[in-house]
Amino acid sequence: MSQPSDDTPDGPPDEHVLVRSAPGEPVISAHGIGKSYGHVRALHDVSLELRRGEVVALFGDNGAGKSTLTKCMCGVVTPDEGHLETPAGPIELHSIRDAEALGITTVHQDLALAPDLSVLENMFLGREVLATDWRRLLGVVSRREMADRADAALSELRINLPSVRIPVSDLSGGQKQAVAVARAAMWSNAGILMDEPTAALGTTQSDIVCELIRSTADRGLAVMVISHDIPRILDVADQVVVLRHGTVAMARPSSEISRRDVVDAMVGYHEHVGGHR
Amino acid sequence: MSSADSTTAAEQPTTSSSGSAPPALPARLRALGSTTALWIFVVDILLVLLFGALSENGSFLTASSFRVLGLDAAEALILAVGISLLLGAGEIDLSLGAGLLLSSVFGGKVIIALAGSGTAVAAIIGLFACLGTGAAIGLVNGLVVTKLRVTSLIATLATMGIATGIANIATSGTDLSDIPASLQDDFGIRNLIGIPLPAFIALALWLVTWILFRSTRFGLRLLALGSNRGAAERSGLKVDAHLIAAFMLVGAMAGLAGFIDLTRFATTNLAGHQNDGLAAITAAVIGGTSLYGGRVSLGGVLAGTLLAVILQDGLVVIGLSAFYQLIAVGVVLIAAVNLDQRRTPGGLRLRLRR
Ligand SMILES: Nc1ncnc2c1ncn2[C@@H]1O[C@H](COP(=O)(O)OP(=O)(O)OP(=O)(O)O)[C@@H](O)[C@H]1O
Ligand SMILES: [Mg+2]
Repeated sequence: MSQPSDDTPDGPPDEHVLVRSAPGEPVISAHGIGKSYGHVRALHDVSLELRRGEVVALFGDNGAGKSTLTKCMCGVVTPDEGHLETPAGPIELHSIRDAEALGITTVHQDLALAPDLSVLENMFLGREVLATDWRRLLGVVSRREMADRADAALSELRINLPSVRIPVSDLSGGQKQAVAVARAAMWSNAGILMDEPTAALGTTQSDIVCELIRSTADRGLAVMVISHDIPRILDVADQVVVLRHGTVAMARPSSEISRRDVVDAMVGYHEHVGGHR
Repeated sequence: MSSADSTTAAEQPTTSSSGSAPPALPARLRALGSTTALWIFVVDILLVLLFGALSENGSFLTASSFRVLGLDAAEALILAVGISLLLGAGEIDLSLGAGLLLSSVFGGKVIIALAGSGTAVAAIIGLFACLGTGAAIGLVNGLVVTKLRVTSLIATLATMGIATGIANIATSGTDLSDIPASLQDDFGIRNLIGIPLPAFIALALWLVTWILFRSTRFGLRLLALGSNRGAAERSGLKVDAHLIAAFMLVGAMAGLAGFIDLTRFATTNLAGHQNDGLAAITAAVIGGTSLYGGRVSLGGVLAGTLLAVILQDGLVVIGLSAFYQLIAVGVVLIAAVNLDQRRTPGGLRLRLRR
């Protein structure tokens, strides 16, 4: 996997959007996705594309269908209408494992970490590295190998932890979030879907996670972020998609829009012009 | 006033974040000092010394007294080690005592039936009958929990009753009495370098389980299941397969304890194992294993088991009713769990920091 052609060597944050306007290679795209739960139409005719090196921000009010779209794209939910496509052609995802086989991982809203296990054990859960000698036959894991790789993955995202061998329950909220993002990044070689990665985080910690989001994309991955924290995510996003009542209300490059535009699209401002402002 | 408040609030995140990364070594030392297992071990040693001082001529401190202690501890330790596997995975098994009993009944019947073809053959096939019976009960438990979605508390409460019922029906309520007595000397009360063979086996099992949790993929995954079931699922773990395997392993351990019981006493004990399963859970929890999953202390399992056995034997040696043991263990259980909950969250997880 090649690194992105570094077009922004340490540019100031504000220049992200301008310089990175040349899109990378597509990773996965949704075409006319629809999904209903009984009479509730959670999604209708939603299309979007995730490209390498790009952060797509997905905004929308509660119940707009953001999580449902994420679930469709990571194999947890099968859409009723429309289809997903990779550069290799149309694809159906039947489980989270299918998405992971495409190199697409997910940061779940609840982080899905086991608090009693150490950071490294969490990062390798389900993919443990076994010892290379005879102990392999007994299913003995190689903590040193895993620790080295976890350390490398964390430092690549500039995450600082006292140690990867401490239990996750000893971490702060931001550190946990960082571990969840690092884990997703470690097993992803194409894209990461993040469902509200800054929910319930303080200002400082949200900033750290946003930096993580940016640096993950800068490593050449496609990132989709769901958030209610519009100003902060707008700062790191390249593309903005706003969902409203399960349909795409707006899809534009972040360089062209303001926070106000996002909120207007979320609440359907254009439908009753002259209201506020 | 309000401005002072907002200053404090604004400063808090900075303060807490700079204080949240204590140097690793002192933290580990603190964890070591506050480990429940260690405290219980200290209590164990003090109790041995106390009973030694109170017993006539220090008879509690003799080799033969320790051999009895070892024999008593062997069965209890095997059950406690077994339950730690399930507690780690966030499940529980109340059927261990009944599993022990039913295994000893079936194993005993097999041994009696085969006694004609040589004691060794009978014993070996009897051992497998015990292990198989226990594992079968475990399989039922595992299937009921994973496929019928009955919580393990209820499922194993049911199988406890079922297994006890079958054991009594199969024996018509009379303990088996035709077990060859030679099995006792050959296995049940045999000594190796002065230590009872069953105690050796129990310690070996304890060690293997300790390594299993500390170093193997299976152990880690069990703890993950107990720590956050949903996360384990989304990490692609085969939850049902792991749980069924754990229930069967624990069941087989109860079967092993049943075989030891059978060969030690050369009879079954229909009336004697009702409390064994709960005693195992008690021993594990006293030692710092969490009832809610994800945290297991094998050191605590050993210390907690020894505590119960030392109290039981010691009280008898100094001439007090063994029922005082129940009272003492109950008090210690409450004290130990209280100690646990007041401690810093890192304390119990020493084992996991490797
Ligand atoms: N499993 C489900 N069963 C029934 N209805 C569902 C289910 N999941 C989602 N819905 C419905 O689909 C709609 C979209 O839900 P979704 O979770 O995608 O919203 P969201 O944009 O993520 O909202 P939030 O910001 O609150 O997380 C909602 O009306 C919700 O009630
Ligand atoms: Mg949601």
